Amino acid sequence: MTAASVHTRRRPRINVPAGSFLLLLLVILLWWLAAQLSFVIPTPADTVGALVSNFGDADYRRHVEATAAAVLVAFLVAGLLGVLLGLALGLSKWVRIIFEPLVVGFNGVPKIVLYPVLLPIFSLSGSKIVMGVLFGLFPILINVAAGIRDMPAVYWKLARSVNANWWQVLTQIIVPAIRRPLLTGVRLAASLSAVGVVLAEFFSTRFGLGRVVLRAYGNGNYPDMMATILLLISVAFIVSLLLWRWERKTR
Amino acid sequence: MSQPGIQISDLSVEFAGGDADPVTAVSGVSQEIDAHRFVSIVGPSGCGKSTLLNVVAGLQQPTAGSIMIDGKPVTGPDRRIGLVFQEDSTLPWKTTTDNVAFGMRILGVAKRDQQRRAQEMIDLVGLQGFEQSYPAMLSGGMRQRVALARTLAQQPSVLLMDEPFAALDQQTRILLGAEVRRIWRQTKQTVLFVTHDLSEAILMSQQVWVMSYRPGRIIDVIDVDLPDDRDASVVSTPAFNELQNRIWSTLQQEAMRGFVAESTAA
Repeated sequence: MTAASVHTRRRPRINVPAGSFLLLLLVILLWWLAAQLSFVIPTPADTVGALVSNFGDADYRRHVEATAAAVLVAFLVAGLLGVLLGLALGLSKWVRIIFEPLVVGFNGVPKIVLYPVLLPIFSLSGSKIVMGVLFGLFPILINVAAGIRDMPAVYWKLARSVNANWWQVLTQIIVPAIRRPLLTGVRLAASLSAVGVVLAEFFSTRFGLGRVVLRAYGNGNYPDMMATILLLISVAFIVSLLLWRWERKTR
Repeated sequence: MSQPGIQISDLSVEFAGGDADPVTAVSGVSQEIDAHRFVSIVGPSGCGKSTLLNVVAGLQQPTAGSIMIDGKPVTGPDRRIGLVFQEDSTLPWKTTTDNVAFGMRILGVAKRDQQRRAQEMIDLVGLQGFEQSYPAMLSGGMRQRVALARTLAQQPSVLLMDEPFAALDQQTRILLGAEVRRIWRQTKQTVLFVTHDLSEAILMSQQVWVMSYRPGRIIDVIDVDLPDDRDASVVSTPAFNELQNRIWSTLQQEAMRGFVAESTAA
């Protein structure tokens, strides 16, 4: 093989934004085709129209706000709790021996079955937040604990040799050392908190987009249903993508 | 008049062996190093040389005996003691400059001094031009220079090195060994250097201690009467050979004893 051919092979000019844009066009085209074949599926144009008119409605905006607030609170609580429990699980051998089977087991449970139990305790607005926390908690907890266990042992020796206090060890060594698994956990928690909240809203809530989707389905108002689904998918998709890019940029 | 650098008095370290009998890693070691001297410890693997170093560093409590540095007892890690580890201890999220400043930052050195001293140490270990590089962009030998610069920047009076070149290839070891000697002749810390490499020990130090297999005792102390400005070519001189033969004759039996003990245990 000549040097020139190596050179040309090494430079496949792929334009990533253009590729993504083409993929998006393809998805819209397939959607439009599906809409022609089935009367249940509204066209992309009808769906976007329904979404725009929905946002003109104060009642709809109230549903959006209710879901957004619940997801945000659930994500923050899951993050805080997940980091604290993950630290305990990663740092203490005894905590790990006692609680690891519990964590692994409970992570495998379909948490939504607990919703009827949560309702009388946390009421309608509180229960879906708790559900979001239950969904979002585990990826952070598990990633933080695993990240700490994978830390090179010499970091601890280094910390001790310079007499670092626990706050310095936490902020100067542990958090930067586990930054990648931590960010993976944050990304997964962001999407799973939303899953927990919206899932709970499907079953029972006063305000929330899960309920809006279900009501539109019941009324046979498919453009409205599809518009809300599109909103949920787009927001979750973009948030996950941005968090993923941040994760990859992290050294 | 020489001042005391490191004084080791009647030091013993035992490990609780779990179900088995306790293991005596270090037994009744009493040695002194005058300030500004360079001493190496050689011994078979598993002889407790790293344990001895950890105790001198204050990272581990002895079962009996005591350590004094510059005439004051060691009760735990303190800023008089600088450690260089065998493993790569650079932090991958920090640049060379930030890695070198890390110890000073933890110890609370003023920001302005941190920058100035970090640059001085980077120049000293020969990493000019790599100030903004991350460890992933540096070779193993360069990372070990970063770790050395970080330790020197803490301005310890005693430098403890635990097989610092063990993870490096032969050529890098020789070059970095010469660098450490050059730096030591400039900074004049009291150095205790652990290695399992005989010629490295002779090449680097003014005195070599030979340690026995478990329980670890110092069974021979050899003064190295080679010129202070020696370089790697000294290995072909008769004086070097004589030293190497003397140390090896002692070490050979211990290495064999260790080898037999470890093979029967496994």
